[in-house]
This record gives sequence, structure tokens and C-alpha cells, in this order.
Amino acid sequence: MNKFIQFSITFLFVSLSNHVFSAASDDVKTNPEDFETSTYEDEIYDPLEGINRAIFSFNNTADRIILEPVAKGYKKLPSPVQSGLGNFINNLKLPLAAFNQLLQGQGENAVESTGRFIINSTIGIFGLIDVADNIGLEQKEEDFGQTLATWGVGDGFYVVLPLFGPSNLRDTTGMIMTMMTDPINAYATNQGQSWAIPMRTAANAVDQRSQIIDEVNALRDNSVDYYAAVRSSYYQNRKAAIMNTDDDVLTPLPLISIEFE
Amino acid sequence: MKLTKHLFFILISFISIQANANEAKNWLNSEIDLIISAYKNENLPNENKFLMVEQTINNNFAGTGIAKFVAGKSWNKASKDVKLEYIKLFKRHLALNISSMMQGYSNQKYQLTDSRYDEKNKVTLIDMEIFSDTGSIQVTWRVKKSKDRFFVIDLLVADISLVVTKRSEFNSMLKTVDYNLFEFNKKLLAQNESSYQKITN
Repeated sequence: MNKFIQFSITFLFVSLSNHVFSAASDDVKTNPEDFETSTYEDEIYDPLEGINRAIFSFNNTADRIILEPVAKGYKKLPSPVQSGLGNFINNLKLPLAAFNQLLQGQGENAVESTGRFIINSTIGIFGLIDVADNIGLEQKEEDFGQTLATWGVGDGFYVVLPLFGPSNLRDTTGMIMTMMTDPINAYATNQGQSWAIPMRTAANAVDQRSQIIDEVNALRDNSVDYYAAVRSSYYQNRKAAIMNTDDDVLTPLPLISIEFE
Repeated sequence: MKLTKHLFFILISFISIQANANEAKNWLNSEIDLIISAYKNENLPNENKFLMVEQTINNNFAGTGIAKFVAGKSWNKASKDVKLEYIKLFKRHLALNISSMMQGYSNQKYQLTDSRYDEKNKVTLIDMEIFSDTGSIQVTWRVKKSKDRFFVIDLLVADISLVVTKRSEFNSMLKTVDYNLFEFNKKLLAQNESSYQKITN
């Protein structure tokens, strides 16, 4: 009986709203020339597409078998534990972020990042608590890929790295530079604690993945071409990070006009 | 006197732009509440939840316009019947995508934080922040007004545009069928059926 009532209510709601609004929505038309100039994102330079797709498929399987289940388990931890670990991992990125901000001429941001690192590492108990955020020092991430882009280095071609995922030639170079220059990694190596480096990378991957479980699943389950969807998402996201501007300013506006007949 | 006229004109323009942005924000708020109320009802079967989301999206998204944009250069070559079939399939695809994103909904709070009118593109931008226990995610809605009604033309999640991603994704698949929309419709139908099964089961 209960089910019947639920179904009836839904049916009534759907039918009524259909009559009132759907006709208007169906009448939405676009101009034929709207799409002539909008070729951005259609053709990302991907000369290694065959190899990339094979690596992507491997990564996807690894994600389903290892990373996603671990990230789901991580999500079940009490939120203060998740926040603490996330804060700790993010805090370790700050010295290099400040250095990159300096290289990009963002003096004020570099000072803020340094301030964040000092405050969170001390008052925030080794970065576990984000005290700096409460006093207005926001987290602003910068990496060598972004620095190279700011200096005018182009994307290069698209590449999918085993386990590390989507990238391009410039960002891969940036990633290698990060690995080579990161002071935290250098310190760990000097102390004979090199094992901590892959642990840190893995913890970062789990923390990042746990924040986008539903989004990734939605994309994976509903894409006619999941590979192309991830590739486009990667480029849009990186473009936004490089430009450091509001998403709405930077993401190309689809030329969709609404005209009624 | 001229200066006063100018100032008056600027003031009126600003007030009307702000009023438009606020009107869009209120409209969006009520539509999101409609979708969320469906997901808050734990007794409602998944199929019914999806139907409610689909109807809300069909009413409020510029589905036909987005479908045409996403089809890119394959659009002009297709016959009228193929185009109509594609639009029908695309609208369902859009609803399935958004419904799928809602699958993990667990009473997260959201807030429409800002709305502004982009005079150049004649688009209202509405920022929404979705809060979870460990942080928040920013979503930006792009809304256009036509004949006293608002339509969503794009949705940006963490700097990634749903429409631009779909265009890139469809273009990649269309390339494999030589930009033949009729052939593409078969793939889209198969994808929709698979997505529908996942959402309703």
C-alpha cells in the first residue's frame, strides 16, 4: 500500500510538472552557427592515444581493486582523523608550494604559504590541525608544472602515467622536479627513512581519492568514453590551476543560446 | 547634469543586474531543494528518485541546446529524425549523469554563496558550496534567462565543466563512427541502459 502511494505521488508529480514546464524546455532552440567556433577541448593533442588507453585501462583496474576500496575504508574513519591526516599531508606540500609561488612572482602567496607552514607545524601540532585557515591564511597549491606553464612552457602531448594517472609532457617534467627537490623527501632520505617517501605518495593518493569517490564513479558509470572524459577533465582542471582565477572566468563558456520559436 | 544622468543609468543597470542574479539564485534554490527532497526520502525507490530528478532536469536545463553543442560537427550532417532521437537520448543521459552524482547523497548541507550576472555573455553565474565532514566542494551553475524563464546551460564542479567534458567525450566517440549521429545514437542508447540499471538497482 505504502509503495502504491509513493508511486502515485511520484507519477502525479511527474505528470503535472511535465504539463506545466516540459513544453517550454523542449522549445529551447540554438542557432546553427553557435557551434562553429567552439572547437576547444575537442582535440587535445594525444599522439600516444593507443598506449595511453592501455595504461589508463591498467590504472582503472588498479583503482577498482586497490585505491577505491582503500579510499572507501578511509572514508569510514572518524572525520577528525580524516581531517587530521589530510591536513598533515597538505602541510608537507607547503614548502615546495611557497618556492613555486616565489618562482611565479607571487610574493604575497609565498609569504602566506610560509606562514601557514610555520603556524600549522607548531601550533597546529605537526600540521594535524589547520590553525592557519582560521586566521585567514588559505591553502593555495602551486607546483613545478604550473611554474613552467607560467614561464610559457606549453602542455606538450597528453600522457597517462602508470599509477600516477593523467598528465602531459610539461606536468610530468614538473612532477619529476618535485620529486627531486622536495625538502621533506630529501630530509627523509638523509635520515635513512626513504621508505616514508612512497608511503607519503600513497597516503596522498588515498586522501585525494576519498574526496572524489562519487564524482569518479558517476563519470566512470555514465561516460560513453571514460578515457576522453578524464582527459578533458584533467585539462580543464590544470588550466584553472595555472590561471589561478575563478572557474567561471576561465572555463570556456559553451556557446549555447536560448531562443524560442 | 550629464554626469548625474550617467550615474543614474549605471545605478539602475546595477540594481536590475543584481535583481536578475538574485531571482536566478532563488529559482535555483527551489529546484535543488526539489531534487534533494527526493533523495532525503529513504523510502522512495531509486527508480522514483531518478524519475523526479529527470523531470526536474528536463524542465530546467537547456537540454536541446546542450545536446546540439555537445554533438559538435556531427549535428549538421544528421537527418531531422536522427536529431530528435539524439536529443531524447541526450536528455536522459544528462539526467542519468546528474542522478548518478546524487547517489552518494547523505544529508550534506549546501549553500548558494554568490550569484552574479555576466553582462558580456548574458549569463548568470551562481556559486554553490556543498559541505561534508572533511571539507567542501564548489559548484558553479551557469544560467540563462529566456522569455521570463531560467535555464541551466552548464554545471562546473571543481573547475570542470560538465558540458565541455561531454563535448570532448562525445567527440572522441563520434570520431570512431565517422561523425555519424545515427550510429552514435546506438552507443548512447546502450550507455543509457547500462547507467539506468546501475542507478535503479
